[in-house]
Amino acid sequence: MATLARADLETLLRDRKLDRTLTSTIPALDPADDAAIAPSGVPALDARLGGGFPRGHLSELVGPRSSARTSVLLKTLAAATARGELVALVDALDMLDVESAAAAGVELNRLLWIRGHVVPNPGFGRDVNQRALEQAIRAMALVLQAGNFGVVALDVADAPPLALRQLPFTTWLRLQRMVEGSPTVCVLIGSEPMARSSAGLTVRLGSGHASFGRRLFAGLDADARVLRARTHRHDEAPAPFSTVSPFCTAPALATLLTEQARHG
Amino acid sequence: MADPHASVWIPSLYACLYEPPLAETQRAAAEEAGHVAVIARDFSPRFEIDRDDLVSIDVSGLTRLLGPAQTIGEELRRAAADRGMRAHVAVAATRTAAMVLAQARPGLTVVVRGEEAAALAPIAIDILQKAAAATPAPISVFKSWGIRTLGELAALPAADLVSRLGRAAAVWQAVARGEDVRPLVPTLEEERFDFSLELEWPIEGLEPLSFVLTRVLEPLSTRLERRDRGAAVLHVILRLVTRDIYARRLELPTPMRDVRTLRTLALLDLESHPPPAAIDRVTVVIDPTPGRVLQHTLYTRAHPTPEQLSTLIARLGAVMGQDRIGAPATMDSYRPGAFAMKPFAVDHDINRGERRDRREERRSAISAPSAVNRDERLASALRRCRHPVPARVVVQDDRPVRVTTDRRGFTGGAVVRTAGPWRVSGDWWESAGGAGSHPFNRDEWDVALADGAVYVVFRDRDTDRWFIDAIVD
Repeated sequence: MATLARADLETLLRDRKLDRTLTSTIPALDPADDAAIAPSGVPALDARLGGGFPRGHLSELVGPRSSARTSVLLKTLAAATARGELVALVDALDMLDVESAAAAGVELNRLLWIRGHVVPNPGFGRDVNQRALEQAIRAMALVLQAGNFGVVALDVADAPPLALRQLPFTTWLRLQRMVEGSPTVCVLIGSEPMARSSAGLTVRLGSGHASFGRRLFAGLDADARVLRARTHRHDEAPAPFSTVSPFCTAPALATLLTEQARHG
Repeated sequence: MADPHASVWIPSLYACLYEPPLAETQRAAAEEAGHVAVIARDFSPRFEIDRDDLVSIDVSGLTRLLGPAQTIGEELRRAAADRGMRAHVAVAATRTAAMVLAQARPGLTVVVRGEEAAALAPIAIDILQKAAAATPAPISVFKSWGIRTLGELAALPAADLVSRLGRAAAVWQAVARGEDVRPLVPTLEEERFDFSLELEWPIEGLEPLSFVLTRVLEPLSTRLERRDRGAAVLHVILRLVTRDIYARRLELPTPMRDVRTLRTLALLDLESHPPPAAIDRVTVVIDPTPGRVLQHTLYTRAHPTPEQLSTLIARLGAVMGQDRIGAPATMDSYRPGAFAMKPFAVDHDINRGERRDRREERRSAISAPSAVNRDERLASALRRCRHPVPARVVVQDDRPVRVTTDRRGFTGGAVVRTAGPWRVSGDWWESAGGAGSHPFNRDEWDVALADGAVYVVFRDRDTDRWFIDAIVD
């Protein structure tokens, strides 16, 4: 009797399209299905994610500073543009480094970049950037409504957690409903999980360990742990990966080469 | 009993009007008199302007009105003479024959149906230079073969001719025989796409204007569709109750005629530039452009349509500001964090050629293992502080050992590893230039803090102040 009641309840929820937010009964996605999965381009992460980020779901990429969140995001955007897709980045606090995006391989003319308004010094006790956050959410909703973007990312990684908590919970539910059933990967970048039950996938990136060479910053050693995945059974073991620094090395190498040339 | 509604077959009949080049003294008068197209328009709506001096007219139905072909030709000559033109006129059952004869013979030439090839036969082969200008004929080759007239060319075996000179030879031979290679395509008058609506009661606010705009745009869209045209520029002209005219001009990124898209774009523009008073007349004028021809592919993912993207960008512009939306671009500059913003292209099908190039690149990358490795590595990215964050840095032995800042959200602490300094300077040559120049002169460090954060910090060498410039992430 209890089983029957649960089955009825699940059927009702599915009819009202509430099953994806309130239950975890979503059939597993085929990792080889390009229409359902968008590979991030980071092999270690893709292996944990069952092929990549699920399309039509709200995914979260969270972690502290220097945990390679932006590196993974840019690689995901690069992979999407390499497949010929259009991508959008809602950069709430206007922190995208264009050189980094180009170095990651993002095809820049396929990236719709929406830059938030940030006030550098809002003043003591005031947070004007809360408005930037709300504008970014509106922009995100507009992009998702337009549809047919391969990846749409909302970067609020450096937004104060308090400001994110002040956003109504329905914000994420609304975004999740917008992306549901579409071929879009919707990624939220933050320091803490924010979408709660609306999130289809939550990946926490571990605090990266900075590796330095003799005189150069070499990159970050980080790890990814899947906290929540609706579309597949996940392994919570961390997946280690590392980044290499193309920027810090370029001027450094030039200096070293000059020094070497000077000393013969 | 004959059906009164049955269509009657009218044999085709074409007239061509050719205005030969005039002497300098006569030219000015002729230009005042008008153009061959004006005469053609007086006789039939079905005419095609082949060149400025040549027009073909479908006169098939005129036999009932004016009489036989001879009479039609004479009427045409008379009309031309009335306008001060000494035009050549030819009337024939095929357009090609009429065109060749008009250019080859002065006065009026009328060819009996079926006698086109015979009428063209004595004409010198050089006429092909004019008659088949789209596919230039190798006149010298024909002459070297001993072919001097159109009749001799028409008599050559078609298959042998095509095998030697290619497919274009079939066109030259058809011209020599007076056969039509394509039907007459009437030249249509350039249509003006505008529509006005007078309002009995003035309207204020955008919501009622939305309905009016739909009403105005719908017939325009239908007319554009009928003529296979799209809107390139949308002019919204509003007459206000103050008797002032308020006009907005929207340059559309791609030709479009979807009513909802055009209305949304117009409304979004008016939302950011509202009229100062109530409106009592709405006029929309569209600058047309040929419609877009798109060939979609089954093998690539669907993109948002140009209409969707245009609307999206307009909406985003209204929310975030026009200067905050676009595609990023790198700059040829030593300034850290330098970038440019380009308008986001709404028609990504134009990049097909580039995509093909990329496929080529990918193919070549497969053969170069180092290139593959380069693609697989994950590059460390920076998160750039658009306004560098002032910081307090403790320096020991010329190296930063502690970084702190008052900015909320930025943690500070002891420095565990450093790399640097890397001296970066630039734009110093513009320091005397004035307002637009921002010279920079800094020593940059990569610092790893005890809490795991890695920053790019720099000391401004001019002010000796420290800043956090970027976060390695």
